Amino acid sequence: MQMKNVVFRLQRIGLVLLVALMALGGTTSCKSKKKLAREQAAAEYAAKVDQAKKDLNAILYDETSWTLDEKEKRFNTIKSWNLQDEEVLNLLDQVEDKLARDRADAQRKAEEERLRREEEARLQKEAAKYSNIENQFMGIAGAPDVMTANEKISRALSLFASPDVPVLIIISQAGGFNDYDRPTTIQKYLNYLKDQKTYNNAIEQVKYDGNGKITELELIKK
Amino acid sequence: MRKTSILMAVLFSLLTAFVAKAQDDLSPERKQAIDSLALEKVRDLSKYVSIIGNKSTAWSEANRVIDRAEELFMQDAEIGVSSIARPEVSYYGVRQYFERLMRLNYDRVEIDWFKIEYVSDLQRQPDGTYVGVITIFQKFRGYDKEGNLVYEDTTKKDITVYVKRKETQIGGRIIGFWDVLLGDMRVKETSK
Repeated sequence: MQMKNVVFRLQRIGLVLLVALMALGGTTSCKSKKKLAREQAAAEYAAKVDQAKKDLNAILYDETSWTLDEKEKRFNTIKSWNLQDEEVLNLLDQVEDKLARDRADAQRKAEEERLRREEEARLQKEAAKYSNIENQFMGIAGAPDVMTANEKISRALSLFASPDVPVLIIISQAGGFNDYDRPTTIQKYLNYLKDQKTYNNAIEQVKYDGNGKITELELIKK
Repeated sequence: MRKTSILMAVLFSLLTAFVAKAQDDLSPERKQAIDSLALEKVRDLSKYVSIIGNKSTAWSEANRVIDRAEELFMQDAEIGVSSIARPEVSYYGVRQYFERLMRLNYDRVEIDWFKIEYVSDLQRQPDGTYVGVITIFQKFRGYDKEGNLVYEDTTKKDITVYVKRKETQIGGRIIGFWDVLLGDMRVKETSK
């Protein structure tokens, strides 16, 4: 009987010990998981900080081939991570300033490019506008003989209000001044092209009368 | 009222002085443009000489070109003529020189100018005129009716160039221009 009691007590002690061990073991296991999660989160955070620093430095020192849009997108992504790393926060400030400057530069360049294209288009339009007159001048200068040149001169003169229409030739433009050669008349100028066999000016300005005839011609030396 | 008039007069004088100063102090680019213009006038003359001397040029055309060539020169300018056959140099008025050139007693004439360059750069004179000297070499060849070369020489000539700023009114606006005029054309040496 006594023996039975001893066994029973031992069993109870064993059970209590087992429960205690299980309880203790369960607590330890839960704590490990949390620790693991914390460590994992810390590692992820550290990786994000590293990545952020790497990307922000690359943007800051132009060490990336990303476009400005891609840089801005990346900057916004990193900013949304809300990383509380002092170096990252400092880099974010610097990169924000740089991107603002780059954006302003890009807009300025785009505007300059737009203006350049507009000017090019205007010049092309101007050139096309005067191409008929220019072609006539080149035709006279390139005429194979005097008779042909004279025929071309007669045709060209029909564009002008009279053979005495003034022709001004700009030899230089600087400091707000136009320097001209001695003014001549269209008849003399056309004969000059015939004699010298070369046309090395460009049309700068043409004035017309109500009948569409040229009343003044301004050329500029090429 | 009087103060305003005085102020306006002072401002006008200052503006006039500024414009005059700007005209006097030529930038290198403007000076270069004037240098080139004067050289171009001499090259134009070279072409005119060639056309006038060419026996196949029609008389009316030659006379028209003489008019244009004459316009390049100052009044009373003289052109020297030399020959390897005689030591002295004869000087003729511009019109007379070109008319003689037109009537030279050859069946065919070739006149070419080369090495056209400044020997003395354009220098500003006290009256505002720029004066320089351009030298040219002229190769002259005269042929008879059989096409034989009967005379040839090479002459070095110095041409004095005068460039002055002038103004004229065209279409109601004042145009400032550089008037290039050629002076005497002196023979420096003649060789075969």
